[in-house]
Amino acid sequence: MSERSTEPVLVVENLTTEFRIGGTWYPAVRRVGFTLGRNETLALVGESGCGKSITALSIIGLVPKANGRVAAGRVLLAGRDLLSLDEREMEKIRGNRISMIFQEPMTSLNPVLPVGFQVAEALRYHTDLSPKAARARALALLEHVKIPSAARRFNDYPHQFSGGMRQRVMIAVALACGPEVLLADEPTTALDVTIQAQVLALLAELKASDGMAMIFITHNLGVVASIADRVAVMYAGDIVELAPVDELFAHPTHPYTEALLRSIPRVDRDAFDLKPIPGQVPPITAMPAGCRYADRCPLRIERCSVEVPPLAPVPGLRGHQARCWVRAGAGAGAEAA
Amino acid sequence: MTGTLLEVERLSKTFQVRRGFLGGATGTVHALSNVSFSVGVGETFGLVGESGCGKSTAGRSILRLVEPDAGRVRFKGEDVLTARAAQLRRLRREMQIVFQDPYSSLNPRRTIGQTLAEPMAVHGLGGAGEIAETVRAVLAEVGMPSDAAAKYPHEFSGGQRQRIGIARALVLQPELIVADEPVSALDVSIQAQILVLLRGLQEHRKLSFIFISHDLGVVRHFCRRVAVMYLGRIVETGPVPAIFDEPLHPYTQALRSASPVPDPKARVAMAKLEGEVASALAPPAGCHFHPRCPHAMEICKRVYPAWTHVGKDRGVACHLFPAPAAASALTP
Repeated sequence: MSERSTEPVLVVENLTTEFRIGGTWYPAVRRVGFTLGRNETLALVGESGCGKSITALSIIGLVPKANGRVAAGRVLLAGRDLLSLDEREMEKIRGNRISMIFQEPMTSLNPVLPVGFQVAEALRYHTDLSPKAARARALALLEHVKIPSAARRFNDYPHQFSGGMRQRVMIAVALACGPEVLLADEPTTALDVTIQAQVLALLAELKASDGMAMIFITHNLGVVASIADRVAVMYAGDIVELAPVDELFAHPTHPYTEALLRSIPRVDRDAFDLKPIPGQVPPITAMPAGCRYADRCPLRIERCSVEVPPLAPVPGLRGHQARCWVRAGAGAGAEAA
Repeated sequence: MTGTLLEVERLSKTFQVRRGFLGGATGTVHALSNVSFSVGVGETFGLVGESGCGKSTAGRSILRLVEPDAGRVRFKGEDVLTARAAQLRRLRREMQIVFQDPYSSLNPRRTIGQTLAEPMAVHGLGGAGEIAETVRAVLAEVGMPSDAAAKYPHEFSGGQRQRIGIARALVLQPELIVADEPVSALDVSIQAQILVLLRGLQEHRKLSFIFISHDLGVVRHFCRRVAVMYLGRIVETGPVPAIFDEPLHPYTQALRSASPVPDPKARVAMAKLEGEVASALAPPAGCHFHPRCPHAMEICKRVYPAWTHVGKDRGVACHLFPAPAAASALTP
């Protein structure tokens, strides 16, 4: 492979997105940074409110303006900072070079327009294809995402499709212009598991065939294990651990990741060792000063409550970073067994 | 097992739905067809399956929150479906339900204390003092702070609301709880807290559960026996580790292999199962699963498979496991 193909498609640096509550701005995403390689799937995983969706909305410029703002950071797509673009320039990128699919396809599709039209619309907006050529390309896309008898269903409306098929239509819309990056926000969460497996397989296949990079947002660590190349675990607005997928599951290092894995009832294992995480995520308006997980953490030391730990390399593990005073960075390794 | 608490026999339920332009045509949804199972005293029995398989309708029919069309439900030998008002009220004291969505199942305009006291008042269980005492004890039992009784639902998180929903089911000291996707709306870490709570309650109070879920991992954790449903019918039953480790019915196998496991070495055998669940308005002839089944045979398209007992505690409805002629008359 050439030097160029190893360069990241997307670089997120120091991204901080805030929301205004009662007149004060609070960070929902705090100094988040990662790179995304060509043809790579990065999973952002975490529980409700951890900032995983807000990270994606910040990248694609869809943070609600009424009470939200990207306060700091850079989002570099092939070297160009998307955060510095105005809305008109961003519209040329969104749906074209970066696309997004959401959890509930019914709310993203227009209920009064046929699905074929909606796929063609994306093409007409971003390319100068003739209406006829756009329709032909739209049909090819619906076939590409494996909608059975796509030609016959081209003029059907979203309500005539099942949830899984609607999500395929959304994927076709998102892929219409051959984006470099696909942001997938819980795209299989509303689907039954057998349909989820089909959609995950489709996404993996499309990623390979179209060579795009994907940020896959989910709360489900099982889905992460199925689809990701690398994983960023988020907690209360921070990335707390970042590692290749095999690494993360073999050596979960941040105490939160470790606890999360122990709290999942698994279908492949007997359940005797299920251990819930005590307490709950602190509210956005009352985040602790130091590590945001400190209050729930069994490894807490004094420093944790005072100083925010950096996302630092984990000693002895390649490409593996964690935001933990006890287990990562130069001072790590002192933990008693 | 120390005895049977609940027996469900050939439970069936259809719904009429309007379809077509402006609802001009009607159709019949076969939500439940000949569903039979039993739950032992202190047993945790799981009903699993995907959306629309009838698992919730089964749970609700047992409590007569939905009136089934046919079949029999016996609770400690008493016939639930023919019970008259007074008898049914008494039976419902012993059979309670916990719902999935702790946001919509609590009255937002009542304090937690009022919500918990109401069932006891309705059933005439003690005076105000006694009721308040029970409310306090049950809140403590589900891990809620004692000042919760004076607060309103919006003051609590999803996990806490589900604890309140569980407390409401417990105040009448029931013997059976139908838990309909009780942890599905919760985050993983909160889900584990609620599962541990339910497990503790089950052990201390010797409660029986019908635990309805689409999540095989949760069912494996909580249940001792399970029935797998597809399009209104039970396709397989058995004890819990066995049914997930060695599923017999091709649908159970597909469900199992499509369930994601947090281990990249066990990446799910993705998209093994083609197609989607057929409409319950027009279930396929023969075995309802045959259009998606990798093992479908000629007979599967015509004849619904008879129930076959496999070993002493498992059963399956699949032509791959033909029943001995004599034993094939009844579903489980």
